[in-house]
Amino acid sequence: MSLIAFVGRRLMGAAVLLVVLSAAIFAATAVLPGDAVSAVAGMDASDAQRAEVRAELGLDRPVAERYADWVAGAVRGDLGRGFVGERPVTDVLATRLPNSLLLAGLTLAVTAPLAALLGLWTGLRGGGADRFVSTAAQVLAAVPEFVIAALLVAVLAVWLELLPRVSVIPLGGTPLDVPHALILPVLTLSAVGLAVATRLLRVSAADVAATPYIEAARLNGVRGVRLAVRHILPNAAGPAVQALTLTTGALVGSAVVVENVFDYPGIGRELQLAVAARDIPMVQGIATALAGVMLLVLLTGDICARLLDARKGHQR
Amino acid sequence: MSRQIDRRAFLRRGAAGAAAMAVGPGLLAACSTDEPASDRKTGPGSSPRSGGTLRAAFVGGGASETLDFFNGPSALDLVRARAWHGTLGNLDPSGPDGVRYGVLKGIDIADDLSAYTLHVRPGVRFTDGSELTAADVLHSLSALAANSKLPVYRLAAANFDLAHARADGDLKVVLPTLRPIADGRMILCQGNFLVVKDGTKNFRKGMPSCGPFRLTEFTAGQGAAFERYDDHYGHVPRLDGLELRSIADSTARAGALTGGEIDFAHDLSPVTARTLGDKGNVELVPTESPYLVGLSFQMNMKAKPFDDPRVREAFKLAVDRQAMVDTVFYGNAEVGNDLPSIGFPDYAEGLPQRAHDPERARALLKEAGAEGMKVALTTGPETPGMVEMATLFVEDLKKVGVRTSVRELPAGQLYADFPAYAALPLAGSYQMPIPALSTYQMSTAGGSPSAFGWKESATDTLVAKARAESDQAEARKLGTQAQRTRWEEGNQVLPVFKPNLNAQAKGVRGIRDDLFEQFPGFSQASLA
Repeated sequence: MSLIAFVGRRLMGAAVLLVVLSAAIFAATAVLPGDAVSAVAGMDASDAQRAEVRAELGLDRPVAERYADWVAGAVRGDLGRGFVGERPVTDVLATRLPNSLLLAGLTLAVTAPLAALLGLWTGLRGGGADRFVSTAAQVLAAVPEFVIAALLVAVLAVWLELLPRVSVIPLGGTPLDVPHALILPVLTLSAVGLAVATRLLRVSAADVAATPYIEAARLNGVRGVRLAVRHILPNAAGPAVQALTLTTGALVGSAVVVENVFDYPGIGRELQLAVAARDIPMVQGIATALAGVMLLVLLTGDICARLLDARKGHQR
Repeated sequence: MSRQIDRRAFLRRGAAGAAAMAVGPGLLAACSTDEPASDRKTGPGSSPRSGGTLRAAFVGGGASETLDFFNGPSALDLVRARAWHGTLGNLDPSGPDGVRYGVLKGIDIADDLSAYTLHVRPGVRFTDGSELTAADVLHSLSALAANSKLPVYRLAAANFDLAHARADGDLKVVLPTLRPIADGRMILCQGNFLVVKDGTKNFRKGMPSCGPFRLTEFTAGQGAAFERYDDHYGHVPRLDGLELRSIADSTARAGALTGGEIDFAHDLSPVTARTLGDKGNVELVPTESPYLVGLSFQMNMKAKPFDDPRVREAFKLAVDRQAMVDTVFYGNAEVGNDLPSIGFPDYAEGLPQRAHDPERARALLKEAGAEGMKVALTTGPETPGMVEMATLFVEDLKKVGVRTSVRELPAGQLYADFPAYAALPLAGSYQMPIPALSTYQMSTAGGSPSAFGWKESATDTLVAKARAESDQAEARKLGTQAQRTRWEEGNQVLPVFKPNLNAQAKGVRGIRDDLFEQFPGFSQASLA
């Protein structure tokens, strides 16, 4: 199958999956205990006031009818307005999603080359260096994000005073207006991703290094960096690419801890707030958009893996 | 013929792209300029500085933040509105009517308490040059506040017939009451009634306003920027500008303050506030009475054995209030006496402070046949200190023989399913600082769901009488009598009043002078 046909098929599959996921998300919001009435009317509202607010929000209508309305709006690009504050969901996505994509992208940009370097080095050399890096990666993967964030803040912001503790973005601006404010969030997220990817690449590199194909290359005099980069990395990178795309896609919506600690204006915190307030249109819109992003990232990972696969990607 | 991507070409391009992405942020960071260094001198001897931009940070509400403060539920929505719009008035115990008026000159009350006449202060101007009139006040009250779903505005709607309010000339608004009340000034002048121009439907940057500052920038979930309004009534702000930021995490707010990125941090957690104690460049400025939040536990009288007054009293006697103040709030709080609204004129000051008496509590439980009773205390981190208080309360209850444990819900979940919350046998809660009797009428009287089974028509009547009494001494007597019944037989354990633990850079002054401290104003603030 050609690459274009492969991508086309996967895109169609992703579109169908997105519809199914949006229905599942809507069903999940419907079975959550409670609704947005307390967030809108306050906890001491009377029963009559609650009923009035519930009717105003349309929560007294059947779930299927509300979902059908939402789908009809979504097809036209209207994801509705939040119950709390009445802000259009598309506005929230337009301002927050790019910030989260930027954070995830930068994290990938830091993680991927470093993981490749460390994975190849430890996978090929073995010995003390391998044990040290593997143990360090294990420890790093086990430490919670907020601990890593606190340590980085303590060292880089408090002690050395090199970076701001909080990502205070200029009003009306984007995180790119204050690039130094991105460093601590990116470093925190990179730490865990680096540990996982390094271990994956290390195992793959060691496996590939033991294959007859590499043995033949060695016997032909190929050594060192050339052997690692031209012969081992392309064959070892497949599984690591899949894992990296998976973690990067997940980062877009789930970097809540880092967003809170550094006050980074990402989409994860908006989703968290919306869930807490039972703000169904906001939860539905953000969660569906994140599902869409995840599907696209996974598709990209699959394409990369296919191109890296010597049997399928190397077409002449 | 379509061109296939060659595997080797893909690897080459991918490697180059990855390198560029990896180096990019570093280069960007290297090219960036640092935040301008703060050159402010601080110290107790320095005089308030005229000018500068004060930067303050609040919890905020993310994307749900709105300029329409009549429908904005977060504290920052109201703080932002206070900087932007003129207020009817604020509570001020030193003022002649117990209030300090804003865009009003005064409020007259009809002899039969059937109507309030609001006198508009002449000469108040909006930013578009027009003069503020009774029509603007009327629109803000009867069209906007009356349709608000927020509890603060429901309090007014529960007392005044906002739909039948009318303007009497350019400078008078007549506001009928729904029932005779003498304490209406305290309801109208709590700082949250702000005035916008007649006909306002949409709230946006550039709309006419008459507050101390004019809005220049707003991004929901991020912050707002203001510049001074030089024609502000009363006094012109000292600051040139104001920046209100949304920073959700308490530690992050404290970090931004100590790092010099902001000048004022609102509502820190007790632990975070304690860590700031030894920082030389900042100071803690907790809100003072009456701007204290009551932290309480509700006993459901519909659930056994809380239908027995002896059990309720035992729970009140079991709690070690001072230990909560010392342990949870490191001394930055006040001991409560099982009644809300400490510091307000209608709070029953005369009642004796409930003692910590575990022996008596144990005896009462035995007498009621509830010795060894089992109950779960459900709470959540809705405001700093709630869960920690519950943990201590449970330990106190265990000491008097109650088998109990804390059931902690995630943030935002406690009140999300309100019918389920109101059916809990024992639940954590908190009370915002609003006058005692009017809040009782709104949220407790008549068997309201948030009353947890308390339904005492005699007390309801007493409260209504107290509020309808023009003679202040008599009103106080009746109000105290009603609160004594709540104190003796009520189903609320309220051991602690906690302030908003605010902190500011040394040398910042005047924030407290704006009153309504839980939603700070900055019209009199200055930098060092």
